[in-house]
Amino acid sequence: MRGKDVRLDQVSIRFGDSTAVQPTDLAIHAGEFFSILGPSGCGKTTLLRTISGFIEPTEGRVLIGGEDMAGKGPNERPTALIFQNLALFPLMSVAENVAFGLEARGVARAERLRRAQELLELVALGGYGDKKPADLSGGQRQRVAIARALAVEPAVLLLDEPLSALDLKLRQHMRTELRAIQKRVGITFIYITHDQGEALAMSDRVAVMSRGRLEQVADADALYAEPATPFVATFVGEQNVLRGSVASLTGDLAGVDTPVGRLEGRAKGALRLGEEALVMVRPERVSLGGAGINALSARLASRNLEGPSVNLLCAAAGQSLTVTVPNGPAVRDLPEELTLSFGVDDALVYPVGALAHG
Amino acid sequence: MGSLARAYGRPLAAAILAIAALWILALILVPLGAMVEQSLWWRESKGDISLQIDRIYNDIATIQLDRASETDPAKQAALDATLEQRQAEATALEAQEKDPPKTYGLANFTRMSGLHLYIFVRTILYALMVTGLAFVVCYPVAYVVALASGPRKAVILMVALIVPYAINELLRVYAWLMILDYRGVINGLLSWFGVVDLDNRGWIPFLENPSAVFLAMIYTYVLFMVFPMVNTLETLDRNQIEAARDLGASTLRIHRRVIIPHAKPGIAVGCIMTFMLSAGSYSVPAIMTRGQGGDWFSQLVYRQFYESNNWNMGSAYAVSLLVVCTTFILIMMRLFGVGLRDIAK
Repeated sequence: MRGKDVRLDQVSIRFGDSTAVQPTDLAIHAGEFFSILGPSGCGKTTLLRTISGFIEPTEGRVLIGGEDMAGKGPNERPTALIFQNLALFPLMSVAENVAFGLEARGVARAERLRRAQELLELVALGGYGDKKPADLSGGQRQRVAIARALAVEPAVLLLDEPLSALDLKLRQHMRTELRAIQKRVGITFIYITHDQGEALAMSDRVAVMSRGRLEQVADADALYAEPATPFVATFVGEQNVLRGSVASLTGDLAGVDTPVGRLEGRAKGALRLGEEALVMVRPERVSLGGAGINALSARLASRNLEGPSVNLLCAAAGQSLTVTVPNGPAVRDLPEELTLSFGVDDALVYPVGALAHG
Repeated sequence: MGSLARAYGRPLAAAILAIAALWILALILVPLGAMVEQSLWWRESKGDISLQIDRIYNDIATIQLDRASETDPAKQAALDATLEQRQAEATALEAQEKDPPKTYGLANFTRMSGLHLYIFVRTILYALMVTGLAFVVCYPVAYVVALASGPRKAVILMVALIVPYAINELLRVYAWLMILDYRGVINGLLSWFGVVDLDNRGWIPFLENPSAVFLAMIYTYVLFMVFPMVNTLETLDRNQIEAARDLGASTLRIHRRVIIPHAKPGIAVGCIMTFMLSAGSYSVPAIMTRGQGGDWFSQLVYRQFYESNNWNMGSAYAVSLLVVCTTFILIMMRLFGVGLRDIAK
């Protein structure tokens, strides 16, 4: 199996008056594990269904392996879709499910059952061919769905939040599994999810989507460390957000007057003096103690034990701040009055824009 | 019983049980029992007895005439004795006519003539054909209705299915009669286009063809086929259709492998209903053929009851029809792998 690249060329999708996907350009490389991450209703499933051929784009083109897919139905595209609820055929055996795509292609029964057996072994379900999907566990059904989709040898596998129905432990296990399968078969995976953990853990690259628009396309590290917009900054990982007005701009550094005092950080986006801005700093980049720039005094409101780390919920000048510090004896008996600080590099300053949570 | 009482309290549980018992009694046991009982006995034909009685009274009248013109007292006495004896015979026969003795046995079932047996078999075959045709007609309709959503669905359901059913069955059958009659709507249209010549009785005799009955019957029972199918098709996860399409399956294969297997219980219920209704339908064949086409078995049953006035034979016919249809359905269910439990779902 060979992966193919997928390119969206000014694709926009409208249903009547409402726009589901704004004009979008996107290039997904062949053999890549690519995730589209966004809250529900952001248009990510619409985008996936457009790639798979269930929806024709209102404008623009979808190209798979350089070939224009206009007018081609889902059964004519080199893609296979794994549905959110898996959509296994409940009345067929597991082997028949896996072999269905081959059956549709007119492969002889013996041959397609042999192929199904191979694929079931690939997903470690060799002995389950005769069972019905209902007899399997959630994780096993998941793997059957993957085997069924792989049976038609797609160049691009599309996954629509297939892990969302599983419990946490299984979900984490399946992430590794999916990633391993993708490495083994080498085809392009396009994975839709609202779970940032899944997207960051599995993907080569992630696109963050909001309100029908791609906010940022980057690898997981860049997405986390250098979010391009306030939405991405707040949607991916936790974030302390402080509102203020821009007081200084020097090079790529910006100073912002916030209720807790003057804070400095790296400027992201077009900032202008005197205009409102958002200062963002990740809870784990804030440390206890320190002095000088970006140091502020706060009152400890509560202390939430997470296990390996501790979240300290603090209040400073009416603003709430979260600090994540490693668990240990040092954070067991903290005074009520704390000094918090963070580096200039750890703070990012954005023009005011939409945030992920309210 | 115990759990029912715990769940609803004693009075309510008792009421529920009473209603269930009444239901079973009134809807199943009493009517079926009466019919089966009726079919298991017969009386000697009353017609023969009446004939005998008539003959005796004729004799008596003749003897009385002889007696009136006879003058010899010895002969008079002899005639009186004969008269008395004949009268006694007549009285005995009259008593028998009034209340002939019942004989129990299976004779009613074995007495069916070859012609009636032929009609019986033909009726079953016709009912099967109606069921098959109704399925072919209803499946696409059910599919469209089940997969449509929102206000459009309500409109389709209303206009296409509910409205025709608000009209009385007889009216609907008569409407088809008018459409297919010699000087009916279709022949009228054909004549208007110059295809047939109504003035010289050149019409097309649709009604003399069994397919006229089929047509009216499908129209009459279509809803019993559509609704069970719609119900099961509605429960089909549409993702399965999309998944099958995504895996490259043609529309035909999607129906054959995914949709129909899922809808099988609904199809079974629809087919059973249509089959039972059409095998036992009286009004449709009676009205549509008006004696010009072959009888259906239900018409024979009717005749046994109301023309031959032989309720016992009629009951036996009705019971035979019921037994054969039920057996047939059970066999079909086994063949198609549909269990009663699937249908109950």
